[in-house]
Amino acid sequence: MKIPTAMDDSSVSHHNGGQVGSEIGVSVNNKQNEESSQSVQYSIPGILHFIQHEWARFELERSQWEVDRAEFEARIAFLQGERKGQENLKNDLVRRIKMLEYALKQERAKFHKLKYGVELQQGDMRPPSDEPPVEPEPAERTQWKQGRQLIKQYLQEIGYTDTILDIRSNRVRTLLGENSEEQTEESNYRNCDKHRYSTNTAVGRKRMMYDYGGKDQQCKGAVSGGYNEEGLSVQENAVFANFEFLANQEMDMDEIEDLDTKQAHHTQIKQEEVDHEAEEVLNELNLLTETEADGGGQGDEYVGASDEKPLALGELAQLTVSNEPEAYDVAGASKESFRKTWNPKYTLRSHFDGVRAVAFHPNEAALVTASEDHTLKLWNLQRTVPAKKSAGLDVEPLYTFRAHTAPVLCLAMGAPRSEECFSGGIDATIRVWNLPSATADPYDPYDAAVQGPVLRDHTDAVWSLSSLQGRLLSASADGTARLWSPRAARPLLCTLRDDALTASNAAPAAADFADAATRAAVVYNDGTLLLYDLETTQAVLRVPCSSPATRVRSHPSLPVLVTAHEDRHIRFWDAVSGRCAHAMVAHLDAVTGLALDPNGLFLLSGSHDCSVRLWNLDTKTCVQEITAHRKKFDEGILDVAFHPVRPFIASASADGLAKYALLVLVSLVLPTYRVYPTCVAVSRRATGTPYEDASSRPPQWRLRFVNDSVTSPPVPID
Amino acid sequence: MSDGVLRRNRPGSKAKDFCRWPDQPIEEMDNTLAVQQLIQQTIRRDPSNLEAILKMPEAQEEGVWKYEHLRQFCMELNGLTVRLQNECKPNTCTQMTATEQWIFLCAAHKTPKECPAIDYTRHTLDGAACLLNSNKYFPSRVSIRDSSVGKLGSVCRRVYRIFSHAYFHHRAIFDAFEKETHLCKRFTHFVTKYSIISKEILILPKLDDETPISQPVGESEA
Ligand SMILES: [Zn+2]
Ligand SMILES: [Zn+2]
Repeated sequence: MKIPTAMDDSSVSHHNGGQVGSEIGVSVNNKQNEESSQSVQYSIPGILHFIQHEWARFELERSQWEVDRAEFEARIAFLQGERKGQENLKNDLVRRIKMLEYALKQERAKFHKLKYGVELQQGDMRPPSDEPPVEPEPAERTQWKQGRQLIKQYLQEIGYTDTILDIRSNRVRTLLGENSEEQTEESNYRNCDKHRYSTNTAVGRKRMMYDYGGKDQQCKGAVSGGYNEEGLSVQENAVFANFEFLANQEMDMDEIEDLDTKQAHHTQIKQEEVDHEAEEVLNELNLLTETEADGGGQGDEYVGASDEKPLALGELAQLTVSNEPEAYDVAGASKESFRKTWNPKYTLRSHFDGVRAVAFHPNEAALVTASEDHTLKLWNLQRTVPAKKSAGLDVEPLYTFRAHTAPVLCLAMGAPRSEECFSGGIDATIRVWNLPSATADPYDPYDAAVQGPVLRDHTDAVWSLSSLQGRLLSASADGTARLWSPRAARPLLCTLRDDALTASNAAPAAADFADAATRAAVVYNDGTLLLYDLETTQAVLRVPCSSPATRVRSHPSLPVLVTAHEDRHIRFWDAVSGRCAHAMVAHLDAVTGLALDPNGLFLLSGSHDCSVRLWNLDTKTCVQEITAHRKKFDEGILDVAFHPVRPFIASASADGLAKYALLVLVSLVLPTYRVYPTCVAVSRRATGTPYEDASSRPPQWRLRFVNDSVTSPPVPID
Repeated sequence: MSDGVLRRNRPGSKAKDFCRWPDQPIEEMDNTLAVQQLIQQTIRRDPSNLEAILKMPEAQEEGVWKYEHLRQFCMELNGLTVRLQNECKPNTCTQMTATEQWIFLCAAHKTPKECPAIDYTRHTLDGAACLLNSNKYFPSRVSIRDSSVGKLGSVCRRVYRIFSHAYFHHRAIFDAFEKETHLCKRFTHFVTKYSIISKEILILPKLDDETPISQPVGESEA
């Protein structure tokens, strides 16, 4: 976009052109005169006033720095604790990896025996101990070649010709960079294997995670470990990559530090390119693996999301990014990736007031924000403007949605339709929007078709929206939650109201679909959590809680509801029994934002304490904390979001202030939301068992039922 | 916070309670958004009290004061734009005009363009949002360079055209909006008080009077 400048005054006069220009000239001259006369006449009171003024300003700045310092100190203490925890976690993971490895070998031996009737000679068949695994002998090389031939045959049968294989292997080779002859062969092989995996054994597997950061490690692992010769699947490779990753930690830390401090401009760009190409390959692979059906409620969504191939990242690849680590293997939960602090990657400034809600596009690198300035804005994260080196990238909005007549409070993206979004606000309306295309110009002519239907049944502020399977769930201060079919002739499907709560003046604060959209979880501003059956519109579960609730999210595949509360807690509820499965003090102030990653492994929370925290749902530990916003009045972060398929998280704030490490400008105070690079492309299987068993879920789905004592016992209805 | 009041909008609260908290004295505002907070709470108390709204606190940097006010004007103009969208169509208001004396070209494009009035309005506000939030020109909300303060003038001139188009072509909308917000009156007061745009450009009649004074050349309404 082009920023209007003072010089291009663009009025055109029919009769007396140039009038405006001359006026400006005059006023500028006046100004100059004033300035020059001021510079001559210094007066004692004037100087004193100036000094007083400056002193006050410095005092203000000093107090700000002191606040910063205190926060950083708290942060250091927090991170030190985290580090300890992560070390324990690592040890545990290494142990688990070894067990998996052992189980895998056993399985392979069994298979070999069944097929060839001979015992397979494997290097190490002992149960895992604390020693590192023994490497297999090189004598198996011929056997490996046979195996490779066999796999090639399979691939040909299913339509993978040599040409395709060669193209793929070339691609992988370029990704891996420098390659000896031997490595080439190996990567080639690994590549074939990948596709065998993705095409043949896709059933029962969800998606594959392949961490970019571990790429190099994986390469090293291939050379030194030689495990590839046994025909490992990609999954195993990933596991081993992790393993190597952990083993090489010390060195790797240094590398990252190096990158941070010394990396030159051009190498950074290169790194970007590599990453994005890697992403492209991964996306392709994901496409292959993702399209299979899945028993869980998430399945449909995934298929929808992967229908379209995500945009190529060509443009982004050209850009220099100040924080280089692009992706993190969250699933691996290696302490490496979490110890590195995540910094905001983009700062989205364009709203004039606090940003109340943020929602990502279902598959593209785009998001919509809703603000108290009465507007919504659409952002394409691939259209960025390089800002100051230290400040990351600036993104300018693609489109400004104007129709609300009061602050906009909530937002939901269309699901499964990705070209629409919904917003609700203080003006009691819910509006349906048709999103302009991602290539639209912000200064295109007005298109009335952007505005869709308006839902006007609510009689007070609409505070929460949730969309699933073409239906929309809203929660309003008028005491009701409503279910809509937004584009139908009679859009209102049903109204969820609880007489007891209405009588006590409690209003819904937030709502979310639960149980594959057959139920609705609604939290009230007195703390009550109700689960409504959407068929009967009756409450089937009622859970009282003493602290006012601000958000509710239902787990994508487990019968678990997560609620955020003003008493700084996040609570986990069993959606069947109403038991409080877990409660934890999550922040220093009221928790205001909650988001679950699409795989249900991680939870993101935001708070008026201005921090965003990422939680491992299995262990309920905080794995990342980001403090990058500032308060307006007493409000801090107001919403957080996960991108459904891309490695982004975002936070919206009453007001945002760039405040991450080393940034000198303390006074960047603009309503912003920030998008952080993370990795949500998490494999469910990466931490689970490598054996497919359609009926049983991988172990990480287990939620621990501890700490029941925090809340009063629930009162189930019926 | 120091007075024990939490100035927060809790999810589920009524529309009438939105931002309805006791005023906070400017001395107690300890954050970088103090000026915006002050302006907004003064407007909320009484949008018609122009003197109070435009009364700059002592020891306040004037550049920041003007900048924050202009942000607030652009923000509130979204309200006028929403109303205009229903009536000011590209086929009826094909050009941005106030009186028939001028046609204003939209400066948001690479080469200034004869945008229809509604697009001129939207593009001008979107452009202002980009400029006023630009990290390059306005990296801070506590202190602003003089060179950046200079940029406010052109934004104000364009913003004024939105008021004047609404006044001369969509008078009913303008009056209803003005009755509620007193925005044009406040804007005129603002640009006059700080001499941001010259009096000759201010073509709207004094809004307090029933009869327009010194009507410029051309007819008053379309
Ligand atoms: Zn018009
Ligand atoms: Zn234009």
